[in-house]
Amino acid sequence: MGFEDLVRTHAADLFRYAYWLARDRAQAEDVVQEALLRGWRAFPRLRERAAAKAWLFSIVRNEYLRALGARPPAAESLDGVEIPDERQDLFGLELRDALLALPVAYAEPLALQVLGGFSCAEIADMIGASEGATMTRLSRARQALKRLVTPRERKAGQP
Amino acid sequence: MNCLDYRRQLLAGTGENDAMRVHRLQCAGCAAEWAEHAAFEEALGEAMRVPVPQGFAERMAAAQVAHRRKFLAAAATALVAAGAGGYAWLARQDPLAMACIDFVMKEEAKSIMMGAMPRARAVTVLADTLPLERIEGVGQVRHVGPCPFYGQTAYHVVLAVPQGKVTLLVMPDMQPSSRRHAAKEGMHAAVMAMGRGSVGIVGSDAELVASVAGALRG
Repeated sequence: MGFEDLVRTHAADLFRYAYWLARDRAQAEDVVQEALLRGWRAFPRLRERAAAKAWLFSIVRNEYLRALGARPPAAESLDGVEIPDERQDLFGLELRDALLALPVAYAEPLALQVLGGFSCAEIADMIGASEGATMTRLSRARQALKRLVTPRERKAGQP
Repeated sequence: MNCLDYRRQLLAGTGENDAMRVHRLQCAGCAAEWAEHAAFEEALGEAMRVPVPQGFAERMAAAQVAHRRKFLAAAATALVAAGAGGYAWLARQDPLAMACIDFVMKEEAKSIMMGAMPRARAVTVLADTLPLERIEGVGQVRHVGPCPFYGQTAYHVVLAVPQGKVTLLVMPDMQPSSRRHAAKEGMHAAVMAMGRGSVGIVGSDAELVASVAGALRG
């Protein structure tokens, strides 16, 4: 598969991944565009073409960090993460709000798993964490999301 | 496999393996958990698949084609120049400038992940070579941090200017005798004497590099 075909195949998920890193559509677009230009330059040196998808996601991550000029997001506490009550209308919107409230350190591995379909070992390698720590982050992310969205269901069940 | 292991793995989203499936078929509680988890995962997938800008994939693919054409045109021009000017073009491929490009292509992300230095420290270490205030007068400083480079400690600066992003490698302990250049795989670099040391400038465009070099010289 040539580089343009790779771009066409993965552009949408790369954009979504960049969005969950940057939380901004314009910045996500800039990050992906810049990352793909870098990717195109480096593509001839990519030996394992089968790993091209993980490689593209990693370039997007590096470009995001470069644009941010910051260290990778630390896995801070999930205590106190809340979403505004007035936006708890539809489950999907509520879940998206909850995702936006989730620190990037938790949302990122979730995006790589859900959007990219990567295994825990692959995600650990991409984000520079141990496999155990990655599984912990994924579990805590889901726990936090469930905690954030369940109050609405309880409210709906109340008379 | 017990209920705790089953639910722990489910929560990590690793998918259900054979041992998990056997447990679920024998445990009503975990079967209920699995059904709830499946519904949640479906909703999570939908929530994460935010709408992508219209025509995004095609736009990105078209940008690659345009960039490749620009690169090939530049390469053709360079070949013509090399044919006409003998060693002139090859002489531009200075090893130090080339090392600056290699740093950006291979080491930059790792350097950023090592962390930035406090601003006060950056002001001190850059003072004799390229004062931080002067860099901030040229563009927005996104990162300043130390990095091993070319057998010495250099300072890695990511700078955003209106025309794009450039990387600076401030080398307090090295002063080149003349301005040096290199170009490789669409990246351009210049190294010039600055203060008591030198600075390498790397960008995706020769004009951008020249423009930042001029601005830094003031």
